[in-house]
Amino acid sequence: MTMKPFEQYLKQKLDALPTERQPENDLWPGIDLALHAEKPHSAFSKPQRWLASAAALIVAVGLGWVLQPLWHTQNDVALNGEALVQALSQQHEQNKTTLLVSLKDTPALTNNWEEQLTELEEAAEAIKTALKEDPDNTALLRMLQSVYQQQFLLIERVHAPKWQKI
Amino acid sequence: MEMCKAAINDAQITPTPHTERQIIEAAQRGDKQAYRQLYRLHTGKVFALCYRLTADRGMAEDATQEVFIQLWQKLNNFSGQSKFSTWLHSVTANITLSYMRKQKSWFRRMVNFEESAAMQDVSPRCTSEIDLEALILRLPERARVVFVLHAIEGYRHEEIGQMMKMAAGTSKAQFHRAKQLLKVWMGYDDEAI
Repeated sequence: MTMKPFEQYLKQKLDALPTERQPENDLWPGIDLALHAEKPHSAFSKPQRWLASAAALIVAVGLGWVLQPLWHTQNDVALNGEALVQALSQQHEQNKTTLLVSLKDTPALTNNWEEQLTELEEAAEAIKTALKEDPDNTALLRMLQSVYQQQFLLIERVHAPKWQKI
Repeated sequence: MEMCKAAINDAQITPTPHTERQIIEAAQRGDKQAYRQLYRLHTGKVFALCYRLTADRGMAEDATQEVFIQLWQKLNNFSGQSKFSTWLHSVTANITLSYMRKQKSWFRRMVNFEESAAMQDVSPRCTSEIDLEALILRLPERARVVFVLHAIEGYRHEEIGQMMKMAAGTSKAQFHRAKQLLKVWMGYDDEAI
C-alpha cells in the first residue's frame, strides 16, 4: 500500500523528532531534597538506613540556613499539607513584614512595585485556594513557595541601593 | 537546543548496557550517587516526554521532578525483564498524566487551553520550515496526549484508553482529530486522510 503524501511526510517528521530534550534548570537539587524528606528507600539495610539518615541530617544542617524555606516545604509535605501551607504563609508574612520594616527608610527604585506586590499576593491566594482542594500537591506547594520568593526578590530589588544596579 | 551545565556533563556519560545495569542495581540498593547517575542518563528522555505531554516547560520541569521523586520508591518494581528505558517511559507517562490531572482544575481556571486563541491561530507555512514539535505543542490537550503516546511513544489505543481513563474509541477519535489539525497546519488540508 502506497503512503499518502501527508502520511509519508508526517512519518518522516516524526522519525526526525529528537528523543531527548534538556530542561533549562538543574532539577536535581529539588529531587535530592525531596528524597531526603521521604521515607528511607525500602531496599536499605539497617546500617545503610542509619547512614542515610545521618547523611540527610548533615545535608539538612548544612543547607538549613541557605535553603530554609525550601527545606521546610519538602520536609513537611510528608507530614501535613494544610499545616504546612499555614506555616509557610505565616512564616512568609512575618519575614515580609520584617523586611518591609527594615526597608521603610530606603527609597524604592520604581513607583509601581506595590502594585506588582499585590499581583503576586493575589497569585499566592489563588494557589492557596487550589491547595485547599489538594493540600499535599507538591507542585502547587512549589508554586506557592516560588511566588513568595518572587515577592521577596521584588521588595529587595526595588529597595536596592542604586550602585548595585547593573 | 539549550542545555544546562549539568546536561553537558550528562552528555559525556555513555554507559554500556552492563554499566547501566550496575547503576540500576546500585540505585535499587539505595545508593543515591547511582540514582543521580541514572537521573543524568535519562533526564533528557524523561523531560522530552513530559514536555510533549504537558506542552509547558515549567510544568514539564515539575513533572520531571515528580517522576524522579516517585521513581526512587518504584525502582525496586523494575525486574529487568524489559529495557529500563521502556519501563521508565511507561512510568513517566503515567506519573505525568496523573500530575496533569491534579494541575488541571487549577490551571483551567487560569487559561482555557482547549479553546486557546493561540491554538487556533496557526497559519500553514512552507513545508520545509515546518517544526512538528511546535505544532504538537499547539494541539488541544487530549488530542496532543493521545498523539504523543500513540505516534511517538508507540502505545496502542487500548493502552492509552486505560492510561487516560477513556474508551479506546475515544483515543482513536482524538488521534484522528490531532492528525486533521496537523494536516491543516502543515498545508495538506486539500488532501483526504
